[in-house]
Amino acid sequence: MSTNSVSSHSKSKAALLVPGLLALTAAPVWARHIEKHFKVDAHPIVTIHNPNGVITIKAWTKQEVMVMSDQSSDAIEVEADQANNRVDITTHAISDTASPDDMRADYQVNVPEDADLQIHDDSGAVNVANVLGDMNVETIAAGVGMADTAGYTTVSTVNGSFQCLRCSGRIEVRSISGNIRLEDLRSSDVLAQTSTGNIVFNGQYLPNGSYRLKDYSGVVEVRFSPADSFDLSATSLKGKVNNQAKLEPSHHGFLPRIGDSLVGALNAGRARVEVTSFNGTINILKRN
Amino acid sequence: MSTMNCTDFLNHIDEWIEGQEVPGARDHSRTCAQCRGLAEDLGTIRLAAVTLPEADADPSPHIWTAVRSQLEQEGLIRNGVALQLPHRAGWFDSIFSFVPRPAFAAAYVGALVIAGFVLSGPVHMPTDQDRWRERTQRTSAELNAQLEAAEKTAMASLTTFSPDVTADLRQNLSIVDNDIALCEKSVQESPESEIARDYLYNAYQQKANLLAQISERGEGR
Repeated sequence: MSTNSVSSHSKSKAALLVPGLLALTAAPVWARHIEKHFKVDAHPIVTIHNPNGVITIKAWTKQEVMVMSDQSSDAIEVEADQANNRVDITTHAISDTASPDDMRADYQVNVPEDADLQIHDDSGAVNVANVLGDMNVETIAAGVGMADTAGYTTVSTVNGSFQCLRCSGRIEVRSISGNIRLEDLRSSDVLAQTSTGNIVFNGQYLPNGSYRLKDYSGVVEVRFSPADSFDLSATSLKGKVNNQAKLEPSHHGFLPRIGDSLVGALNAGRARVEVTSFNGTINILKRN
Repeated sequence: MSTMNCTDFLNHIDEWIEGQEVPGARDHSRTCAQCRGLAEDLGTIRLAAVTLPEADADPSPHIWTAVRSQLEQEGLIRNGVALQLPHRAGWFDSIFSFVPRPAFAAAYVGALVIAGFVLSGPVHMPTDQDRWRERTQRTSAELNAQLEAAEKTAMASLTTFSPDVTADLRQNLSIVDNDIALCEKSVQESPESEIARDYLYNAYQQKANLLAQISERGEGR
């Protein structure tokens, strides 16, 4: 286990180009750039607390954590410390006069692929790629993008969007007004919930998988192929359910007594899909 | 015309909800709302029971590692042993910090237990709309009072966020309040509807989580 600070310089300019899901940011003038490396064992834990900024985390093959940060002001300080097999990264004000705009720090963090992540980022963006450990991400306005992840993932946003591409492992995502997009998913346990945001599920239906999508007033779109196998229950209490699937009567489906509902099985009904909405629209649509 | 009566239906309800063919059961369930409701509820329980092992599966060992690590980081345990430290406020405390500590636990747990009972409720009860309505109103009033007080505490923390984030938080609080209002109306209209009560309960929970998040983040600054 070792820690070494490699570089620190002032007034560098950065434009982060992040592949995949990821964001191309404006090029702010940075007050400070920091790079640190930490040797870690298997299953390290990396925590990040950042009020504002873009956090990009990628897995690599090295058994170390690399932290690169760019901060917008000298009124804040970026700390990256190691305690045993945990690396803690925090942004905090060191001046009472630090304005909200001063609180911005962008991070690029490389971690071993079995790392567990705990991330808090109020605004900005969080992007994670190829990490196979468990992840907990909490944001307010920051959007969250994941690609090729595999751990037990819990995401909570207020109005930040969530997008997951080729993710596997158990996924629980909750938002109030953020949109949720689950593309090419390979998970057997999905829970996605938003109030006014929209939900798109376009993933695999694994045997015995459970897919629960819940919305208040947004649009829920569930994509399927004719060969998929699932038991479907879709109910919109005050809204509408549109369906393109040729469902057979289900062995254990009972229509709720109120709202617009449908239940039934597609093929052998191996997975269970439960979609509910309060007054939004549910669309069960064939994949293009 | 159904040839099966309610007693016959109840005698075969297990097979029926298991999906077995029971002569006359389908016709009877179409014509008898009570039996249909009972079968629907039992079917829901059965499905829930099937999914329970997955839902309650032990979390990944890494989660425990992370929890322990966090507790150690916060100084609450050392080498896995809990320390007797002065109390430190967390989200659970901050959300109901307006209530004196001994009262806090009882009030909070009480409200949620009542909410859980009334809003999620026994799965099937005889349709008694007035009784449902009365109980739901009582619970809603208690929860709204709790949340209103928690909101006052959380609002004080809003100043610590950037103007943009503050605006987002306010807007989303409005969204949740609107959801609560809509769901309360819906429960008033159909007090026996489980799905309506579930949405109302969920909306309360969302608001509590949001207020907790505001208080917790504000506190950390």
